[in-house]
Amino acid sequence: MTMLAAIVQASPTPLPAPGAGVFTSPFLLSLLVWVPVVMAVAIAFMPNPRGRYDVLMKQIAFFTILGLMFILFIAYNQFQNFLPTMQYEEKVAWLPAIGVTYHLGVDGPGIVMLLLSGLIGIASVLASLGVRERVRAYFCLLLLTQASVNGAIVARDMFVFILFWAAAAIPLALLVLGWGGPRRSTAAWRLLGYWGLGTGALVVGVLALYSIAGGQSFDMDVLLKASLSPRNQIVISVAMIIAAATRLPLFPLHGWVRDVLAEAPVGVAVIVAGATTRLGAFLLLRTVIAAEPAAGHLLSPVLAALAAMTVGYAGLAALRTVDIRHMAAYLAMVPGGITVLGLAAVSPLGIAGSVLSMFTGGLAAALIAGVCATLSERAQSRSMTVLSGLAPRMPNIAWLLIIAALALLGIPILASFTAEVMTFFGAFKNQPIGAFAVAVGLAVSAVALAMLLRRVLFGSPNPDAPGVSDGSLGETWYLGLLAGGLLWVGLFPGGPKIPGTDFPLFDPGLLNQMTAGISDIASPYVAPTPGATQ
Amino acid sequence: MKYLGLLPETLVVALAIGVMLAGRFGWLPATSRRYLPQATALVVLVALGVELWAGATVGSYFGGALLQDRFALFAKAAVLLTAAVAVATTDWTAEDSIPLGLAMPLLAAFGVMVAASAADLLGLWAGLELAGAAGVVMVALRRPDLALRLLVAGGMASALVLVGLAFVYATTGNPNLAGIRAVIGNEAPALPLAIPVLLLLGGLAVRAGIAPFHVAGLQVGLGASPLGAGLVFGLSAVAAATVGIKLAAALVEIPDVYVPYVQVVAALAMVGGGAAALAVRSPRPRLAYLAVSQMGWVAAGVSTHFRSGIGGSLFLLGAFAVAATCGPALLGRAEGGEPAIHGLGTLRPVRAAGLALAMMSLAGAPPLAGFFGELAVAASLAQSGSFVLLGLGLLGSVLGVAAVLGTLRVLYIQSPLEESRRGAAAALPAVTALSTAGAVAFCIVIAAYGVFGYPIMGLADQGAEALGLR
Repeated sequence: MTMLAAIVQASPTPLPAPGAGVFTSPFLLSLLVWVPVVMAVAIAFMPNPRGRYDVLMKQIAFFTILGLMFILFIAYNQFQNFLPTMQYEEKVAWLPAIGVTYHLGVDGPGIVMLLLSGLIGIASVLASLGVRERVRAYFCLLLLTQASVNGAIVARDMFVFILFWAAAAIPLALLVLGWGGPRRSTAAWRLLGYWGLGTGALVVGVLALYSIAGGQSFDMDVLLKASLSPRNQIVISVAMIIAAATRLPLFPLHGWVRDVLAEAPVGVAVIVAGATTRLGAFLLLRTVIAAEPAAGHLLSPVLAALAAMTVGYAGLAALRTVDIRHMAAYLAMVPGGITVLGLAAVSPLGIAGSVLSMFTGGLAAALIAGVCATLSERAQSRSMTVLSGLAPRMPNIAWLLIIAALALLGIPILASFTAEVMTFFGAFKNQPIGAFAVAVGLAVSAVALAMLLRRVLFGSPNPDAPGVSDGSLGETWYLGLLAGGLLWVGLFPGGPKIPGTDFPLFDPGLLNQMTAGISDIASPYVAPTPGATQ
Repeated sequence: MKYLGLLPETLVVALAIGVMLAGRFGWLPATSRRYLPQATALVVLVALGVELWAGATVGSYFGGALLQDRFALFAKAAVLLTAAVAVATTDWTAEDSIPLGLAMPLLAAFGVMVAASAADLLGLWAGLELAGAAGVVMVALRRPDLALRLLVAGGMASALVLVGLAFVYATTGNPNLAGIRAVIGNEAPALPLAIPVLLLLGGLAVRAGIAPFHVAGLQVGLGASPLGAGLVFGLSAVAAATVGIKLAAALVEIPDVYVPYVQVVAALAMVGGGAAALAVRSPRPRLAYLAVSQMGWVAAGVSTHFRSGIGGSLFLLGAFAVAATCGPALLGRAEGGEPAIHGLGTLRPVRAAGLALAMMSLAGAPPLAGFFGELAVAASLAQSGSFVLLGLGLLGSVLGVAAVLGTLRVLYIQSPLEESRRGAAAALPAVTALSTAGAVAFCIVIAAYGVFGYPIMGLADQGAEALGLR
C-alpha cells in the first residue's frame, strides 16, 4: 500500500536518467504527428511499377515508425515527472477568429499513451508485413492512422483534438473495407456508424462547452478550466461519455467491435484494439474526470455500471461464441471496462491505476486480438470446433496466447497486475458495487479464457483440421514486442536501477513518468484532511 | 489609379470576350489554340494577384454602386482562384467547346464578383443572373433540352428574387443595402416584409441548389459536360449564396423575418444532401448531393445572423466554391456510373486524389477545407444555441462521410475495368501537363486551406465585419 500511495505522488527530488536533456527540439510533438503524414504522402506518390517497390514501402513504413519510437524514447526519458504542467508544449495561433490554436503538449498520462501508441505502431507494421495487395495504399493508411492517434493524444486544443479524433476513423474504415475478411463491408460501416455517432457527441459536447465558456477559445486550458454549473457539467459529460463509449468501446455502444476486430487484417486489428480504442478512456480522463469534478462525482456510479456491464457482457459473449476472432474481440473489451472502473473510483489511486491500465490494457487487448488473428490464419480456421490441441504444433503462438490470457486477467509479473491492483483498490473504496460486479465479470472472462486455452491449445488434436504452422519470425516479433512490453513494465514498473543506487539505468520507469499531472487531475477528489484550515 | 481595384474584373471580362471571339472567328491558329487553357489560367491567376494586391484598398466605384471592401476581396479572391483551378483541372478533350468552356467560368466568376461588390439590389440581381446564364450556356452545349429546363427553372427563381427585391424596395423605399439596413433597424418584423423575404429566399434557394429546391439544377447538372456540371453545382450556387449573405446582413436587424426559413432550408439540405449522397453510387450525383449538403452548412451559418456565423459561412463558401466547381471537372469523362472510376487511383493517381479530396472536403471530412469551414459554422451555431441544427448538420456530415468512403473504396481498392469493357461513358480522363498541374494545385488548395487558415479565416471574419455585423 505504501508503494501504491507513493505512486500517485510526484517525486519531490527528480532523478534524471543518463542522457536526459541531450536532445531538445521545440517541435518534438509535431514530429510525432506530422512525420507519419509526410511519409504517407511520400509513399503515395512514389513510383511503383508493377509492385517492384512494395518491399521498400514496407521498410519505409517500418523505419518511420521506428524513428518515431526513437523520438518518443527521447521524449519519455527527458520527461520531467516532478512537474505537474504540460511539457514539450507548442502553441501557435491557428484560426484566431474562432479561437483555435495549434496547441500540443503532454503530461504523465499523455506520455504513457504516446508510448503505447509507439509500441502498438511498431507491432502493427510488423504484423502487416505479410500484406501483398495494394501495399502502397495499405501502408499510407496505416501511417495516417498512427498520425491521427498521436495527434489526438498530444492535442491541447479541443478543435485539434476533434480533428485527429475524427480523422482516425477514415483510414481505419478504408483499411477494413479494403483488406478485411468476408464481412468487411459490414464491419467498416459499423465502425463508421458508431465512431461517427461518437464524433458527433464529442463535437456537440465540445461546442456546448465552447459556447458556455464564452465562445472565445477552444484551448483546453480555457475550456477545461471554465467554471460550469453542475447541470452544464452533466450535460457535457454525458456527451463525452457517449463519445468515449463508442470508441473504447463500452456496453451498449460496442456494436462495431466484434465485426471490426474479427474482420480487419491483423495489423489493423492490433492498432484498433491497442491504441485507437484507448483514446476513449483518455477522453474521459481529460474531459470528465479532470475538468468536470461535480459531474465526475455524480456520474461515477454510471461509469462504474458501464464498466461492469462491459466486462460482464464481454465475458458472457466470449463464453458463447465458437469463433476465435469473435472471442478475442469480446475479450479485448475487458481492459477498457477496468480502465473505466478506475476512473469511476474518482480517487487518486483509482485514477493512477486507470492511467496505467490504459497502457497495459492497450497492450493486452492488442495481444489477444493479434495472437488469435495470427493463430486463426496459421491454423486456417476460425472455428473453435475445428481448432484443437495446437500447443505442440505452434509452441511460439501457444506461449503468446497464454501470456495474453494472463495479461487480461492481471496475473503478477505482468504490468496489468499493477494496474488492476491499483484500480480495484481505488474502486472498492468508492464504488464497491461496481468493483464487485467488474470482478465477477472478470471471473466470467477467466472462465472463457480457460476454455479457450483448454480447447484450442491443450485439447485432443483434431485429425480433420487443416494443416497448422507456427508463427513466422515477423509474427513472433510483433506479438513478442507486445508481450515484452507487458513483462518489462510488470517487472520494472519503476524502471531498472543501477545496483545499490536509486539512479535509473536507461528507463526512468513508466510509473514514475506517468505520475506527472495525475495529482492535479485527482486533486478535486482528494478528501479534505480532518482539521485542515481553509 | 482609382479604378485599379476594377482591374481583375476587367481582365476577366476582356479575357472571356476575347476567347469567345477568337473561337468564333478562328483568330488563333490550331497550334496556338492548344495553349489557350494555359494562357487563360495564367491570366486569371494574374487577376487574382492584382485582386489580392489592389483589392486590399477599400473604396467605391460608379457613384457607390460597387464597393471594394473585405467581403468583396474575400469573395472575389475565392472565385478567381476557383476559376483558375477549374480551368487548369478540366479535361478539355471532354468539353464540347474550348472557347465557350473557357469563357463561361470566367463570366460566372465575374457574376459572383459583381454580386460581391454590389452595394444595391440591382447589382446583386445582375451578378446572380450573370452567373446563372453562364451555367445555362455550358449546359446548352451538350444538352439543349436540359438547358431549356435550367433556363425555365432559373427564370422562375429569378422572378421570385425580383418580386422579393421589389417588395423589399417598396417596403423600405431604398435600393441601397446600407440604406435598407438603416430603415429596417427602426422597424419591427412584420408580415409585409416577411412574405417578400420568403419569396426572395425561395428564389435564391433554387439558384443555390439547396434541398428541397435542388431538383431542377441538380438533374440538369448531371447531364452537362464536366466543367458545365461544375459551374451549375459550384459557381452558380456560390453566386446565390453571396447574394444571400449580403441580403441577410442587410436584414440582420430583424432576423425573425428570415432566420426560421433559412434554418429549415439548412436542416433539409444538410441531412437530405448527406442521405441522398449515401443513397446514390454514381460519382457525379454523389458529388452533387454532397455539394447540396455543404451548401446547407453555409445556410446554417447565415441563420446565426451574427459576425462569427457569417464569417464561418464565408470561410466555408470559399472551400465549397473550389471543391464543388472543380470536383466534376476532375471526374472528367468518367460519367458512366461507379464502374467508370474503378481503380482510378491506380490509373490516374493525381486526378483520383483530387476527386477523393473534393468529395471528402464537401462531406466535411477532416482535415480538409470543408471540415474547417463546417466546424467554424458549428462553433457559431453552438454560440447561438442552435444545437438542434448543429446535431442535424453533424448527422448530414456523418452520412456524407459514409458515402465518400464508398467512392474511396471504388477509387483505390477496386480493380480497374478492362479496356475492352470501357466504353465512351467510362473513358479515362486525358493526362496533360496542365490537367496534372491543375489537379496537384487543387489538392494543395483543399489540403492547405484549413492548415493555413489563419489569414483566410481572418479575412473572412473581416469580410463579415465589413457587412456591418457584430
